[in-house]
Amino acid sequence: MKHPRFSLEEFDALFPDRFDSPAERLKEYEAFRAVLEQAEKLEVPELSTHQRAEIFRQSWAEPKERRPRLWTCAAPLRRPAVAFAAGLILGCALMFTGMRDRPQSPDPAALEQPFTVQHAGPVKTYEGKILQALYPQIENPRMVVEENQEAPKPRRVLQGTLDKGQVYVLWNL
Amino acid sequence: MDGHDSISDGALIKAAQQGDRDAAACLYHRHVDRVHRVCYRIVLDGSQVTDCVQEVWLKVFRNLDRFECEKSFAGWLNRVAANTAIDYYRRWRKQGRYVGIEEVPSEALPTENSQGAQSLDDAATQERIRQALQEITVNQRTAFVLRYYEDMSPAQIAQVLGCRVGTVRTHVRRGLLALRAKLAVKPIAKGAER
Repeated sequence: MKHPRFSLEEFDALFPDRFDSPAERLKEYEAFRAVLEQAEKLEVPELSTHQRAEIFRQSWAEPKERRPRLWTCAAPLRRPAVAFAAGLILGCALMFTGMRDRPQSPDPAALEQPFTVQHAGPVKTYEGKILQALYPQIENPRMVVEENQEAPKPRRVLQGTLDKGQVYVLWNL
Repeated sequence: MDGHDSISDGALIKAAQQGDRDAAACLYHRHVDRVHRVCYRIVLDGSQVTDCVQEVWLKVFRNLDRFECEKSFAGWLNRVAANTAIDYYRRWRKQGRYVGIEEVPSEALPTENSQGAQSLDDAATQERIRQALQEITVNQRTAFVLRYYEDMSPAQIAQVLGCRVGTVRTHVRRGLLALRAKLAVKPIAKGAER
């Protein structure tokens, strides 16, 4: 307590409006000052030269020994703002990489459909795997459906070839 | 290390951050007594204070890289010292190695044979002050120590303890009242204790 700061103002701030008279207030203030003067007598035993040296030796050596070179180089990253920015950049980079390498969803058009339909006026031509499965003996089978308003039913004709294209087939269904 | 005496804390810290052991030693010797004083008055046990002081300096050197030189090193050091001493005291109490006031072995107290009459009075006063400080909570004691032994403002103490200035004043008031009661200077005025 080299610079006692126990002013009357501080006393008033600590013990506001508690005294019957100004004289009582001053008396109490002096009493607390006396308490602080006594408290000042609390002695602190000094550290010995050996203790001082030992504390420094262990405190200074220990963190340096434990600190790898990489950690020292990364010291700027330990500032919160820098760490946050670095985290943000790293996160964006990872997300970008992840998005780029993600397997693309299959294009529906690229998938082989069971059949396709070509429209040409009242005529629809069906081709595809399903017809090949239904008529395995016929090469390149396709079904031509022609709707005629005058006919009660549409006309269905299966077209294809046999014997490696040597024979053309037309089959009214 | 004499060559370092006129160098500012900031310059010493920068050098220590680069691994300059002499600069670190100078910084340490410049401030170790204050750290020791703060720790002793919070922990109030000579057998524990060396470990506590070492813990403070371990933290200081471990975190020195992060310290920004434009800030006050003394302020930062006070904060580290006070908080480390509070934690140390609590840990020590929890581990049960703490010897309470009533449990102090009689041979540890001064006797007529060991001291002269004046020394006996002094030792008894020392013990009464220690006991009075031990009877308040460690936060109250820290606020009291920083205010009246280390001359810190209530606002600075609030920063150290992470509380409001009003709470610091309450801590300080309770410290004063406890000391007054223990040192029996005079009875407290009517209504002074709330």
